[in-house]
This record gives sequence, structure tokens and C-alpha cells, in this order.
Amino acid sequence: MSYEFRFDIVWANIDVLLLGVEMTILLSFMAMVLGTIIGIVTAVIRLRGIRLLSYPMIAYVEVFRGTPALVQIVWIYYCLPIIIGIEMSAFFSLVLAMALNSGAYLSEVFRAGIQGIDKGHIDAAYALGFRSGQVTRRIILPQAAYRMIPAVGNVFITSIKLSSLCSVLGMAELMYQGQLVIANYFRPIEVFTVVAGIYLVMTYSTSLFLIFLERRLAWKKREKVPLREQFKLIWASLFRLSPG
Amino acid sequence: MTTAIQSERTPAIGIVDLHKSFGKLEVLKGITCDIWPGDVVCMIGSSGSGKSTLLRCINYLEPPTAGQVYVHGTPMGRVKAGDGTLRDADQGTLAKQRMRIGFVFQHFNLWPHKTALGNVAEALVVVKGMRRDEATERGTEALRRVDLLDKQDDYPSTLSGGQQQRVAIARMLAMEPDVLLFDEPTSALDPELVGEVIDVMQGLAAEGNTMVVATHELGFARETANRMVFLDDGVIAEEAPTETFFESPRQERTQSFLKRMLKL
Repeated sequence: MSYEFRFDIVWANIDVLLLGVEMTILLSFMAMVLGTIIGIVTAVIRLRGIRLLSYPMIAYVEVFRGTPALVQIVWIYYCLPIIIGIEMSAFFSLVLAMALNSGAYLSEVFRAGIQGIDKGHIDAAYALGFRSGQVTRRIILPQAAYRMIPAVGNVFITSIKLSSLCSVLGMAELMYQGQLVIANYFRPIEVFTVVAGIYLVMTYSTSLFLIFLERRLAWKKREKVPLREQFKLIWASLFRLSPG
Repeated sequence: MTTAIQSERTPAIGIVDLHKSFGKLEVLKGITCDIWPGDVVCMIGSSGSGKSTLLRCINYLEPPTAGQVYVHGTPMGRVKAGDGTLRDADQGTLAKQRMRIGFVFQHFNLWPHKTALGNVAEALVVVKGMRRDEATERGTEALRRVDLLDKQDDYPSTLSGGQQQRVAIARMLAMEPDVLLFDEPTSALDPELVGEVIDVMQGLAAEGNTMVVATHELGFARETANRMVFLDDGVIAEEAPTETFFESPRQERTQSFLKRMLKL
């Protein structure tokens, strides 16, 4: 192959890409936070079985799981403000679209996690004189949170990747900034490769963090392991795909 | 909350014409029975006869469809309204009433995210509002009573079935309940582990605790209970002092049940 790689051009413009990274992180972080809130509310409404409220929630989840994310983002960006007559900033409408998307998936994760708790554990708490709030806080959530981490992690990682779709609407996030560099220097191979690498670093650190969290929350008896060994274990568990 | 009138003549648990249906299926068809302080009552009957449901109705894990349970004269799960009629109690009242009734489950139902000691101490902190160190002290004491002090830092998943059930008993004892209910506490255990749980329960009976035990362990029942209740198809088919019950059961269905059980 006679192609001459010019990664030096990418390095020279790394500050442009880093600006995009900042926006990508901001977009996905806001979407994760808002999405988590939406997911919790939706899951709680569905678990409570309030029919009047449950049906709209089921419809919401099905619509957002059943339509392409790009369509959702474009629709909320262009159509929603016209329909409801409220003008939204580009940033807000994109965060809202991503949050509604993640929220739909997260609500299912939360619902399954809470429903998966052994009914007997709940009975035992009531029999000892717990009230329902105490059962939720002390018995259900600690168990559910631990079990939900891998699935929540998937949604978070997806949300980072989804944010690249925002480039279509001119949001200056990583993908958009990459295209900007390409437009000036005509070096798509180098730029897209580096952009992909940066996405990978972001998603990978998210999984590392979640594995760390999962290990912290694991209730199995652990011996005191030195930090170095801990990292080795985490490293190893990344390749096993299941936390050890 | 209504105050209980406690006297010699108030049963620890009074069950009056209790009915329970799940949809169209009527499981309890009118149970009336008194458990007196100090009684150890063993309840037997084939599976599906309503033993578990009856126990769960006593502490309101299943609200009865009709009828009433009284604990030391206080209506369980209900409070007297201004006009003297009973209405459903609020959550706080019910929780306080349940605190006085210990419950041991067939499948132990220990919380997997807590150690043995954590399981025992949790309710002391959450329900009784004890300080963590007080609860730990009381919890350790309860574990000593079931001879599991050495396992206090172990998680349930690392304990044998018999050990888990003993932790569950300690968890109940730490709350110092007045009445102890056992829902087939040895049915989920390997045969060789049944003995250790039975030993603990016999110890509790010997201390004079009021106990109601649903069980298939006829040997245990015969040795420990002072009264037997035979449940069949949602009604009490026969109720008698243990000796009479085993020596000369009156009802034909009791006789055939005992015959079947003893043949096993």
C-alpha cells in the first residue's frame, strides 16, 4: 500500500477534537442523569401498577425502543418544538432525546432488577416489623442495585455512542469536530481512526468504573487485596466478561 | 392502638372463623382456634391443607378474607374506629403488631447481602431503632443461642441449610417476640441437617415459649407439642392434646393421615 499516513495532522488538531470530547461527555452525562431519573419514575409507575399511568409508560417504552435513535433525535429536534410550541435550545433538545431513549431502556432494567428480588426476602422483613419504605431501602435496593450494574452499564455505554448522532444536527461534539478537521485537511482515515479510538477510551473507562463499582458493592466476603492486585483482578475480569 | 387486656384467660393468639381465598380458590374455610401462652402447638396436614396460609394470615402477611385474629386480645391488622367497628390498621400499627410475632420460613429467607450477624442485627437497628453497637451485641447473643457464634461474619450463601435456618431463628429471637410461628422449618433441609434445627426448637419449647409449628416431623411433634391440630382441606379436622391425638385419634381422616405419614 502506497498510502502515506499523516497522523501528525491529527495531533496538530487535537485541541479541536478535545473540544468535541468535552461536548460528548457533557451530552452523554446529562443524558445519563436525566435518563436515570426518567427510568426510575417510569419503572416505579409500572411496578405500582397504576393503570391510568402505566399504559402511557408502556407506550413510551415501546415507542423509544422500537424506533431508530437517529429518527428520535431528529424528530425531537425539529418536530417537537413545533407541536408543543415551546422553543428549546439545540443542546437541551438533544439531551432530552438521548435521555428519553436511555430512559426507556433503563426503566426496563430497573423494573426487572426490582421484580427479580426473592419475594421471601420481602416477607421476612415485613414479618420482623419493617415498613414498606424500609423494605425498599434496606432489602430491595441494595440487592437490586448490585444486580442492575452490568445492564445499566450497557445503557450508559450506548448513550456515549449515541451522542455521535448529534453531529447530524450540527452539535459540536467529537464526531462533528472530527468531520471539521477532515473538511480542512482531507484526512478521513487518520481522523476517523483517532475519533474511534477516543470513543473507545471513553466507553472503556466507563466499563472499568462500573466493574469497580460492582466489586465495591459485591457482598461476598473479600480479603484485603492490595491496590495493585485489585487492578490486576479488574483487568482480568474485563476479559472474562463477568465480574469475578 | 388499642391496649391489650392481658390476663390468664386471654389467648396468646385467638383465631375466630378465619377464611382466606385466593381468587376462586378457598384455602381456609373457617378456622377457629385458641393458642394459650406457653402452648406448643404442632399443626399437621397434607400439603395444600392450608397450614402455611393459616400461619401467614396470623401475622397478616396474607390478609384474611374474613374472620379475625387476636394477639393477646388485640385484633391483628385492625383497629377500632370511633364507632366501635374494626377497620384496617395503618402500616405503622401493623408493623408494631408484627414485631411481637416471630416468623420462621420454610426457605429461611435470609438476606443475601448481609452477613449472619447483619441479618440478625438489621431489624434491631431499622425497626427497634437501636444503636449499631447495641444491635451487634444483642445479635451476637442471639447467634450464641443457636450455636452459630463462629459463623457471624459469614454470608448466607456460604452456610448450610441447617445453619441458615438457625440464623433465621436467631434473627427472630433477637426481636424478643411473644409468639413464635414456624412454617415447615425443616422441610427444605437435607435429612441430616433436620436434627440441628429441631434441637434449637426443642430448646425454645423447653424455655416455655409460645409456639405454633407447621411440620411434617411427627417425631418432633410427639415429643415437643402439648397440643396437635390436624388441618384438612381448609378446616381443623381434629384438635387434641398430643398424647390423645397420636394414641386415639377420633376422626377417620386423621387416622388415615397418621397411618400414611408413619409408613414413610
